[in-house]
Amino acid sequence: MTETIAAQNPLAEGLRMRRPPEPFALTIFGASGDLTQRKLMPALYSLAFRRLLPDRYGIVGVSRTEMTNDEFRRRMREAIVEHSRDELREDVWEELADSLCYVAADFGVEGGDQPLIDCLDELDETRGTAGNRVYYLAVPPKAFGSIVTALGRARSTKGWTRLIVEKPFGHDLASARGLNELVHQHFAEEEIYRIDHYLGKETVQNMLVLRFANGIFEPIWNRQFIDHVQITVAESLGVGGRGEFYEETGAMRDVVQNHVLQLVALTAMEPPIDFDAEAVRNEKVKVLRALHTPGPKHVVRGQFGPGFIEGEPVPGYREEPGVAPDSETETYVAAKLYVDNWRWADTPFYVRTGKRLPRRETTIAIQFKRAPHPPFEVEDGEGLRPNVLLIHIQPDEGVSLAVGAKVPGQGVSIRTVHMDFLYGGAFRVGLPEAYERLILDCLLGDATLFTRADEVEEQWALVDAMVAPWRRDRPHFPNYAAGTWGPHSADELLHRDGRSWRRH
Amino acid sequence: MPATSVRELERELNELRVASAEPGAAPRMRASVMTHIAWVPELWVEAATDTLAGLAERHPSRTILLFPLPEDQRDVLEGEVDYRCFVRGGEQREVCSEVITIRLCGKRAAAPASVVMPLLVSDLPVFLRWRGPLPFGAPELEQLVGVADRLVLDSREWPDSERDFGLLPGLFDRIAVSDIAWARIEHWRAAVADLWPRAAEASVLRVAGPKTEAKLLRAWLASRLRRRIELRLEPAGEVELVEVNGLDCHPLRVDVGTASDLLSDQLELYGRDRIYEEAVRSFSSQPS
Repeated sequence: MTETIAAQNPLAEGLRMRRPPEPFALTIFGASGDLTQRKLMPALYSLAFRRLLPDRYGIVGVSRTEMTNDEFRRRMREAIVEHSRDELREDVWEELADSLCYVAADFGVEGGDQPLIDCLDELDETRGTAGNRVYYLAVPPKAFGSIVTALGRARSTKGWTRLIVEKPFGHDLASARGLNELVHQHFAEEEIYRIDHYLGKETVQNMLVLRFANGIFEPIWNRQFIDHVQITVAESLGVGGRGEFYEETGAMRDVVQNHVLQLVALTAMEPPIDFDAEAVRNEKVKVLRALHTPGPKHVVRGQFGPGFIEGEPVPGYREEPGVAPDSETETYVAAKLYVDNWRWADTPFYVRTGKRLPRRETTIAIQFKRAPHPPFEVEDGEGLRPNVLLIHIQPDEGVSLAVGAKVPGQGVSIRTVHMDFLYGGAFRVGLPEAYERLILDCLLGDATLFTRADEVEEQWALVDAMVAPWRRDRPHFPNYAAGTWGPHSADELLHRDGRSWRRH
Repeated sequence: MPATSVRELERELNELRVASAEPGAAPRMRASVMTHIAWVPELWVEAATDTLAGLAERHPSRTILLFPLPEDQRDVLEGEVDYRCFVRGGEQREVCSEVITIRLCGKRAAAPASVVMPLLVSDLPVFLRWRGPLPFGAPELEQLVGVADRLVLDSREWPDSERDFGLLPGLFDRIAVSDIAWARIEHWRAAVADLWPRAAEASVLRVAGPKTEAKLLRAWLASRLRRRIELRLEPAGEVELVEVNGLDCHPLRVDVGTASDLLSDQLELYGRDRIYEEAVRSFSSQPS
């Protein structure tokens, strides 16, 4: 791409400044919601702060709540002050605020989309947005239908159109297929950007660099050298004010279907031929297709009861607001997955996710096989433990490698030490928030870090198969206390194989 | 008492590292992505110290500050080591970088490589920041160029840029070169590039700005278009205006940044900058 531009324009050769996006009008559906205030507007502010937005753009907030432009701007300013990683600079805010406007609209009624259409046409006139449209659906899936249909009917005849869709994309395979069919009626696949914000995290992207830019890892990244993989997505929080939403989803649909399976795919995928969107997604989808459906014994579900987090007593899930007192929704899932292909045959991928676990942590642990013949007569100490390559995704992004080292002194006493690479320690301060990266990529038309229709459907197909047996039996919930690492059955899942979850 | 040998400096570094691990606390992490050598003649000490103050957090490295004092009557080296630690936002561990300050007195100022080489961090790139004009042919420059992977200079610091740009290409095959003055005009170069294809016919460049940056801009445009370009210069403290054949250039509003930021950006580059090298080669061939 760079070479082509340089051939056309020799003055552009060698410039390191990233090409800014073309002028655009971004419409956020669900503008009065939590996501807009906590993530989207702070991300847009940070992009403006770093001069990564073009000179000409407009941002339209849409929801059903009646609100003036000034009221919307006031709320967005407060959101930036509270949630942005950058301090509020008046000059940057003024520029962003000038681009903001608000439209109260109900797309469920005939003609409900007209105020937005008028507003976007006006932006083309006044702010030179050239008919380029980005629609961000930060609304529940049940609202997608009417919005997507209306947007499809009113497509701009000038410029380009892109549609960003937040997770969850459906609640099972049938609904995901239905949504794909719906959006495909009005938008081409390359215009659709399905967000899984985990893919915007630096460490997740670093996984690809770690694997494919370092000659030492790829030769041993297979069943011959790796004993198993553990993926943990742990949260210490409960469901907060999302009780009603969580009752409908549970940990399997909320986290396993998207984040966990994406992490599995990135860990197990073959090298793509380049870092182009299609090449990367082709390799990921091959892994998803190769995932063997685990039997009921290989899937564990749990629900937390009352317990303690950081010394504070916390209620059980069934006592959370919006949750049924006899709820059978799972707040914890652990599973043993197999990728049935040449590279990974018989290598288990143990995955787990849960709420109210002792701490917030997302990690991928690659546990290598033990040294075949240790020549040491090991004295006390830990003995010989296998090497573990640990990829920390949050909160402390980085990579560490556990190696055995001799404790100084007589005899051979071995201890595990960690060689750490902490992202913040080696690189400049302030990793970009995932949403900054993803919104900017969408504005630039780069879909590499977004999920494709076939990926989503493969993910749902697996999840549907995993939850199918759950309909037949009633779980004994709650089965783990808040502040512990999940139900005993999750430990047994590994103990049966002579393994255990990583120590924390 | 300052250390008077490299061995003493190394011992002090080790002691500092051990002392920094407080009993019961998580050990501090030592992070290095490079060795950063700064050659700082007396005139530039204050400016260099200010620049380095903002650098450690962004580029954890082993920094070796070399203060040449060739007029000193003693032929000795004197040095101190320091551990600069900072807490990462939201993280519990401190990350530390090492700073080694060495005064090269008397004849020692002419043999800096032998002092620096034992102190380089193995397997990591070596950046050499040279403050002030380059003493082409002098042993200290020749030696340090042989040790480093990248030379970072600021041609705005050169009193005779015509002469120095004429000599600079002699280094290009030996070391990758970064020029902070070149970095300062990057957004203006992008703005000129935005005028393409109209800029293809450029013959007159009007610049309000410092002489060095204006001439570099002209040299770049001339080398890219392979033709001579007339420069109309209006002196100013920073580049404020650029016109190509009367066409206004509108850069993206980019804060050029502090001296630390500019140096920081250069420390992220590794390969040769062929576009800069071509511009430098055409610098002297343009009409004065």
